[in-house]
Amino acid sequence: MFDLLINGLQIVLAPSTFLLLFAGTFIGVIFGAMPGVSASMAVALALPFAYAMKPVIAIAFLVSVYCASITGGGITAILFKIPGTPSSAPTTFDGYPMAQRGEAGKALGYSLVASAIGGMVAAFAMALISPQLAAVALKFGPSELFAVSFLGLSVLSCLDSGNLIKTLISGLLGLALATVGMDPMLGIARFTWGNSTLLSGIEMIPVMIGLFAVTEVLKQTSKPKKIDAKAETGPGSSKTKTVLPSFKDIWETKSTMARSSILGTVVGILPGAGATIASFLSYAIEKKVSKKAHLLGTGIPDGIVAAEAANNAATGGSMVPLLSLGIPGGNAAAIMMTALVIKGVQVGPLLVKTQPDYLSSVFGSMFITNIVMVIVAMMIAKVFAKILAVPYSILGPVIVMLAAIGAYALNNNTGDVMLMAGAGIIGYMFVKLGYNSAALVLGLVLGQMCESNFRRAYTLANGDMVSIFTKPITAIIMISCVTMLVYPMIKPFIKKEKKA
Amino acid sequence: MDLLFSIFLTVFAVYCFFLVGAQSPAPTATELGAAFWPRMILVAMIALLIANIVKSLKENKADSFKTLGEFKFTEFFKGKLFIGMVLVFIMALLMPYIGFMPVCFLFLMAYGALLGERRWLRLFLFSLGITFLLYVLFQGALSIMLARGSGVFREFALMCEGFLSF
Repeated sequence: MFDLLINGLQIVLAPSTFLLLFAGTFIGVIFGAMPGVSASMAVALALPFAYAMKPVIAIAFLVSVYCASITGGGITAILFKIPGTPSSAPTTFDGYPMAQRGEAGKALGYSLVASAIGGMVAAFAMALISPQLAAVALKFGPSELFAVSFLGLSVLSCLDSGNLIKTLISGLLGLALATVGMDPMLGIARFTWGNSTLLSGIEMIPVMIGLFAVTEVLKQTSKPKKIDAKAETGPGSSKTKTVLPSFKDIWETKSTMARSSILGTVVGILPGAGATIASFLSYAIEKKVSKKAHLLGTGIPDGIVAAEAANNAATGGSMVPLLSLGIPGGNAAAIMMTALVIKGVQVGPLLVKTQPDYLSSVFGSMFITNIVMVIVAMMIAKVFAKILAVPYSILGPVIVMLAAIGAYALNNNTGDVMLMAGAGIIGYMFVKLGYNSAALVLGLVLGQMCESNFRRAYTLANGDMVSIFTKPITAIIMISCVTMLVYPMIKPFIKKEKKA
Repeated sequence: MDLLFSIFLTVFAVYCFFLVGAQSPAPTATELGAAFWPRMILVAMIALLIANIVKSLKENKADSFKTLGEFKFTEFFKGKLFIGMVLVFIMALLMPYIGFMPVCFLFLMAYGALLGERRWLRLFLFSLGITFLLYVLFQGALSIMLARGSGVFREFALMCEGFLSF
């Protein structure tokens, strides 16, 4: 086993390969920080560079781009409330309030360290127990995947305990929006009103960018007093520095870091789940189990650590089914598989046994990338942080234009820009009326996965609803879901009884 | 406003409930049908919306309608926020017709002015520079095809793309 790890490091530490990894990390962080350039898009953009490389080096290079892009997404999420990648959306919950308080550098530091640790945990898990993990993942059929996505939804009850009804309505609105377009099983048009654009459904990224970024600019517009660019503290502060948290600071988040890294790895392995679900789920679990749960959302490091450790760990997890079984766990993994197929590599269960160099190089790449990434991302984040010193009369409109590019770049469709604008205005209404934008996004993200897996499970069970929920893994997860959903509702009554 | 929003959403959800049922074929013994999932969501949403309406009426029985009456529509429509919303929409609407570059420049100028920037030359130069920077970065370096617009604006975009290819 250790031979595998040492071999991996030997492959990636060869000077030419190391330079390529460095370049891949640089490209990845920049692409990840660009709104609208998702992690899979970053890998796709880097694919042409990999054509001239040897297959083992090519996969290591693409892995470095993938890992770094997920981390890069956190930079703009913290600084401008624009999630660079969908998986960085939960980073905005605590990262942005910290940046608003003038602690942008500290928030970025936590984000980078958590990303690195999450990524490394996943890399070790992948290298050491890849076949076993893949075997477990294979036991996850539609009913188990439905249960996992439902677990993600049960998070709704703890996203905002201030007004549970409104949070649940927001989440259901997101789920309802996810049903727009073609039905995933029968291909029947739903809620399209004859509009062909709506057939492909409501895109998640424009809605998310609108809800987070455009809403924020509108909020600042409505404020009588705007952000002072020359303030000593605050987002406009010129004293914004990217500093790594001390060992003591990191140690304080150890439980969150461990939970999120393990959860991210496990979710990453599940086909179709991925980094976005991992980060939302991890944040929600922290809301349930953390000692600082009541402070989450106000701008504390634990919130950033939960989201960033999980989404980076999911990148390692998604490589497990690819290398062990030849099944890509997500879009980025599918692009990497394409690169290997182009090179004539036969991807499948025998790959790891007959050519262990691939597993070694992916491990080595993830290990080194996660270290190099901290340095590279710190340099890039410093440049980005400087932008915060620009007066808001310039920065605000630029954020809207970046959001517009992000929405447009997805499908080269100006309709998505309209969607983003609409989402921005709805987001502002949500803020004013006390609804929860994050819950809406969560519903939109998980909606299709939930529906398609539930209906597939129903068909496979020949219409026997009971047999779906009595499968051991499904039953355990569903019981956890019900507990998570019901507990916040009965919590006040339990407290009353205790007091009495 | 909350009450109005909840009522509107409830009515719309009820309409969608019947709409999706009418548009989808009946379920079979092993297939739940296209309407099952959306209907389940809509029923839950309607129930929660009604609970929300009842709750807000109970909490603030007298004030619920008073607050609605007190909402100052004229002030809202004259306010910066409304103008900001309109600008964002105009930007999105104009993009397919006049293309990315003109729309970006005009939006940066207009929104900058809305946010209180009165140093016009500085605003003009910043808007121009940022438009150029964003165009070169996304269209040039990242090869993301930005909106070209139509007619003369398309010609202009094609000319700029020609410069970038060098």
